[in-house]
Amino acid sequence: MSSLSEDPTSTTTITTTTSDNNPSTDNNTKRRKQPPPETPSHIRRRSFIIASFWAIVLFLGLPIWWKTTTIYRADLPLGEMMDWADGKACSPEFPIRVAIDAPDVQANEAESLVRETQQTLDAMKDFPGHRIRLEIPETPMDRAASLNPNSNTALVIRLKQGDAIATTLHPHLPILEVTYPSDSIVPGTSAASSLSTYLATELRSTFSEEQAIMSYLLATSSIPSERRPQDFSQQITESLSKRMTRSLKYSRTYHLTFSLFTSGPSPNSWEIEEAVRQYMDPVLNMLNSIHNFTIDTQVQLYATPGVQSQVLTKEDLSSFINAAEWPLSPSIGGAPTVNFVVYIGNQTIGVGSESETSQSWLIPQWGSVYLLSPPPTDYVPAELLKQPILTFTSHLLSLLGTPQSGSLPMRLSTLTRIRSADLLLRASSSLGSLARLSLALPSISIPPSVADGVAKSMHHLELACASSTSSNNGLEHARIAEEEAERAFFEKSMVGQLYFPDEHKIAVYLPLLGPVGVPLLMGLLNEIRAWKKRRAEKQKAA
Amino acid sequence: MKLSDLLHLPLLLTSSILSNANYVSAEHTSNWAVLVGTSRFWFNYRHLANVLSMYRTVKRLGIPDSQIILMLPDDMACNPRNAFPGTVYSNSDRAVDLYGDNIEVDYRGYEVTVENFIRLLTDRVGDEMPRSKRLLTDDRSNIFVYMTGHGGNEFLKFQDAEEIGAFDLADAFEQMWEKRRYHEILFMIDTCQANTMYSKLYSPNIIATGSSELDQSSYSHHADNDVGVAVIDRYTYYNLEFLESQVQDLSSKKTVGDLFDSYSYEKIHSHAGVRYDLFRGGAEAARSRLLTDFFGNIQNVEIDSANNVTVDSEMLALGETIARLRELATEEERAEAEAAAAAAGKVEANKTSRPAQSDRRTKNFATAGPLTDDNWWAKKLTGAAALAGCTALWVLGSYLESPSKEKTK
Repeated sequence: MSSLSEDPTSTTTITTTTSDNNPSTDNNTKRRKQPPPETPSHIRRRSFIIASFWAIVLFLGLPIWWKTTTIYRADLPLGEMMDWADGKACSPEFPIRVAIDAPDVQANEAESLVRETQQTLDAMKDFPGHRIRLEIPETPMDRAASLNPNSNTALVIRLKQGDAIATTLHPHLPILEVTYPSDSIVPGTSAASSLSTYLATELRSTFSEEQAIMSYLLATSSIPSERRPQDFSQQITESLSKRMTRSLKYSRTYHLTFSLFTSGPSPNSWEIEEAVRQYMDPVLNMLNSIHNFTIDTQVQLYATPGVQSQVLTKEDLSSFINAAEWPLSPSIGGAPTVNFVVYIGNQTIGVGSESETSQSWLIPQWGSVYLLSPPPTDYVPAELLKQPILTFTSHLLSLLGTPQSGSLPMRLSTLTRIRSADLLLRASSSLGSLARLSLALPSISIPPSVADGVAKSMHHLELACASSTSSNNGLEHARIAEEEAERAFFEKSMVGQLYFPDEHKIAVYLPLLGPVGVPLLMGLLNEIRAWKKRRAEKQKAA
Repeated sequence: MKLSDLLHLPLLLTSSILSNANYVSAEHTSNWAVLVGTSRFWFNYRHLANVLSMYRTVKRLGIPDSQIILMLPDDMACNPRNAFPGTVYSNSDRAVDLYGDNIEVDYRGYEVTVENFIRLLTDRVGDEMPRSKRLLTDDRSNIFVYMTGHGGNEFLKFQDAEEIGAFDLADAFEQMWEKRRYHEILFMIDTCQANTMYSKLYSPNIIATGSSELDQSSYSHHADNDVGVAVIDRYTYYNLEFLESQVQDLSSKKTVGDLFDSYSYEKIHSHAGVRYDLFRGGAEAARSRLLTDFFGNIQNVEIDSANNVTVDSEMLALGETIARLRELATEEERAEAEAAAAAAGKVEANKTSRPAQSDRRTKNFATAGPLTDDNWWAKKLTGAAALAGCTALWVLGSYLESPSKEKTK
């Protein structure tokens, strides 16, 4: 730049010397005075000046403009993401492991029984994602381990010799007890094949609910219909859709709020801590591997419900909660809240014509309410809270989407599998949404953290998909995958806030580019014209 | 193989149709309302009154504050020009104080920006945002979006400083749909040339309505001479009139169509617009939606089967189960411990099994502590370093200052 600034002075000195030497000054006193002819060194210098301006614009200005206005878009593996969303990347497989415990059956007989039953099961044309796998635990240690609620085995079949074929589902443990006549165990006989068929149908009916839920999840997912299961009756769908509507979205942690609302000044305290510890904690502990819970409680006196009538109808119940005045959304932490409300008052629920009245009702995705008649004292003892807390516990299970058939451990292990399937599908569909979004909105920026989240999510999806052998790990991986996919989608800096129509862009750039661009362009054009002219003259002279 | 495929085809088709139909007819489980005023300053009193009266209405119909996002760009109740401090009225009879004593404003004053509005819709917020300020909807949520302010062709001004374009709004809704963040949306806007604002929407399941066509103004209804300014806009006024008189409580069976039919040029002094084409099922399905589906909080409660005895017994069984399982677990632990004790000795085994049990007990009681421990030490160190740096600077400054002073002396 310093050389440029020196230029004017040097040119002026040169021009003065040339004008002194000009001989034609006295001839043109009447005509307009012509500028002195330029020397070749001037011409060269002027073209250098123009070239340097253009060089700055092209090599400094343009890159800076480009760099500062361009929208950063990290590379996303769009194809793979869409594959996940379409269910192509991994056919979600959720095998159910069933162990056969047959202490008084010989090994080869047991093996042939397992083989035949497995064949019958496979022939039953269930959809491929949901498969029952039979196996024989090899050592007594394994047998004991399979009863552990955290093990991978969903069910143990205990074979016992008896008079006729019969089954009973153990009420508290994941055990299906099967008695069989002694002759039916000999391989190759017709009795043996009938036993295996019987076992297969029993197993299938035991897991039919889980299977229906899985089908429902797949059907409502983003996976196209060709890859979905086909056996699907409408009735099942309806009841399932109601149940799925009721249940909360999966979260690692839930916040439970127990509220005591009283219509008057009393009772004003309750033994809730003790009651929860006695009646609810055992179940919460069992849910530990799937969810964490935080608990808070509150008491509010003189609380007026939304409906004042003495007998509450079903319509009344939906507006019973006084949303405007009851402080029921504490927004503590980041976890979703499940509300359990005990209301002390004289109101009763009237359901149709039945003589018996109910005490409680469940509000889908929200929580539940229990009406308690006023106790004689100012305070509610734990014994009086037993029934409400037990009801809340069963409501909590159904709000969490626990299936309804089978013993509790079985329901919980089913819940684990359902939740991991659900999370897997959710994460996949989030990835698909993100991929479609990045294609649909070209002006949105995609920071590197999004690509990072997508990579992590897909990594864990693969792990979850591969770790179908161990359901607990599967849930954990699916949870991380879903979390990462959500984080990537909801990346804070990805706000497609301003859409600029082209007119706006012109309006912004014109005042800047006009005054700067016109002299620049005209200078270049003049220079080129002059250069052409000189060339032509040179050719003429030659 | 091909033949079997062909046989499967009708089955496939029916199943997919059935499941789709089911998905459509699925009920919603929660109602949300996003109420946005976008203009500041005293002479825009009516816009805030519009928003607050909508707030009163949805609250009256049962939507809790946690599910209402209220954006008020200015505080009319505390404006020094307000002759009735602490109150906002939307009618010159001043019967209902809209501000009241139970109001939750989620975004106030300069927080009401285009960016925050779009962040709210798309839920692209940081961890610091409390849950009460977020739109935590899912694919079963119906959302009522109401906006009012000063607008023009395809834009709506925010606080005289910036504007949201119809394209931005459309993109935001599309992102919500893509992430299944709503079931159905009723979009209502009261501003000049309001109908242009919803013309660019392209996401499904949205019913849109606006107060005036392109090149039409939206007018105020009446002024209160004591307040000194217009207190409500015509379009909002007649919407509210309908809702107050026809939708008294949640049992009302009035439909969205009924509300839209009540609009007339004579009343509103501009041509109110309606858009149904995005809605699945078209105009018919959209018109048949109940108003309480959007303005009220419908909860499909499930009453417990009256005989509590079954619940009770089931629960008792459950309790037993748990007790048994616990026994089983402890037994197992003991067995394991005993197996280990073959080498180490029984006394130690007992010791190890005891703490395991007590561990489980203590797990239930969380102690107070910092919410996150990430980089706790790093943060402390940074803080200390910053503090030390500041001190050093101060010392340096005073050191440099003192010699110069001496010199001047």
